[in-house]
Amino acid sequence: MTHCHHGVCKTTRGPSQAAKRLMNESLSVLSTTELSFSYGEHNTVDRVNLQLQAGTLTALVGPNGAGKSTLLHLLEGRLKPSQGTVNSNKPIGLMPQRAAIDWSFPITARDMVRLGAPRKGKTTAADHCDQLLERVGIGAMGSQRLNQLSGGQQQRVLLARALMQQTEILLLDEPCSAIDPPTREHLLKVMRDQAEAGQTLLVSSHDWGSALDSYDQVVVMDGQILANGSPDTVREKLSDLTCMMGSSCCG
Amino acid sequence: MVEPDIWWLLPLTISLLIGAICPATGALLITQRRVLLANLMAHSVLPGLVVALAIGIDPSIGGLISGLLGALVAERLNRRFKGREEGAMNTVLAGFTALGVLLVPLLDARVDLETILFGDLLAANTTDLLRTAFAAGALLAMLIWGYRDLVFVGIDPEGAAIAKRPVLLIRLICSLITALVVISAITAVGVILVIGLLCAPVLMHVERSRSLKELMLRSASTGLLLCGGGMMLAIAVDLPPGPLIGTLCLALLFTYRANTTEQR
Repeated sequence: MTHCHHGVCKTTRGPSQAAKRLMNESLSVLSTTELSFSYGEHNTVDRVNLQLQAGTLTALVGPNGAGKSTLLHLLEGRLKPSQGTVNSNKPIGLMPQRAAIDWSFPITARDMVRLGAPRKGKTTAADHCDQLLERVGIGAMGSQRLNQLSGGQQQRVLLARALMQQTEILLLDEPCSAIDPPTREHLLKVMRDQAEAGQTLLVSSHDWGSALDSYDQVVVMDGQILANGSPDTVREKLSDLTCMMGSSCCG
Repeated sequence: MVEPDIWWLLPLTISLLIGAICPATGALLITQRRVLLANLMAHSVLPGLVVALAIGIDPSIGGLISGLLGALVAERLNRRFKGREEGAMNTVLAGFTALGVLLVPLLDARVDLETILFGDLLAANTTDLLRTAFAAGALLAMLIWGYRDLVFVGIDPEGAAIAKRPVLLIRLICSLITALVVISAITAVGVILVIGLLCAPVLMHVERSRSLKELMLRSASTGLLLCGGGMMLAIAVDLPPGPLIGTLCLALLFTYRANTTEQR
């Protein structure tokens, strides 16, 4: 852990890196400075410095309890940090974990997606949600009730609802959990397309493996940020990290 | 010339109105997983009703204040006993009911406890009708104002808060409407039995409905039949309508369950 923390220190505190960081911050649409949050005495999120560039797809990787969801809620503004700041003047959307949803609620996939729409422009919303359902691969299932869909299809509905928010920054909490590899590939492709269209996406995941190649930037955290950079850079450190966290590659 | 004997028209109208608004409200409560809170509020109106009757004001005002107070006390206790909310809420439910019963002799109130607990449709008057109509109007106004938010809060309360929807306000208004509906239903089924009318018709339709609106309409239709039929049956066989409607709720749910099991 010490080694990895030093890795972060090198990237954030060295003089030449400080200049690079300032440059990155000026380009970033979302950044944090020494962001911390604690439940009781334990720091769930500990002095996190993060920059997200516009139009990029970033993975936020870590084991259960690493503080990924807490960090996303801090970035979105739902939680107030105990220390540090979140810097962004762009609207931020959030796709919640599937456990946050009552899947037995009487609602169709189409109406669920429509809930994501801004309150204005109802006609546009109706048209747009059908297009989004098509994009996530369940265009024919708009009139199905949510509890009649498979887990993967439900995840697609959640992604479509998140995209319906049309925010410049989108945070996604475990969008690829408990789904089969083809569905994961499809969802990743949709997210990649969004990034290429200019949206900035931060995706939390347990996935350590080859799926990381789909991202522009990978952030590994376990309370603190343990590694941050391109997939190749981070992968070099992964063997140490996986041993340390008792996790295995699953990509 | 002999005037037609239509004494039953007023209680029947009230029972039909209650039959519609109780299940419609129950649809909101069940989809928001707040049925226990509704039952608690139904019992919590009792002390307020007794006090209001003792001091000579409209019982619905006392009941409304008391019902909301019960919900507030339960919410405070729930924070302290997180993960054991059911125990805390049932204690509040029992405590408020007990307080209501104690207040009757303490205030020397002229209250027929049996009527409040189990309803007495046949003794309903125009004030009861107006009270029920007001509750129906308030429910309708809430649906027109915030239907989409009610759906959002029901399916994903956290997402609704993130989307800057007024979650707390919606829950408060929902509690207010629940208290109004419960108070108006006391005439028909009383504070003890109202929960059956809030839940049974909704449970019959919740798996088949494809929207909250559809669930509310289907449940309200079943509630209309239950209350209208229960009221007429009560007159025919000379039994109290409230307990009869409560029993019909259980019988209908049981029959529905048996039939749907057979279909599988």
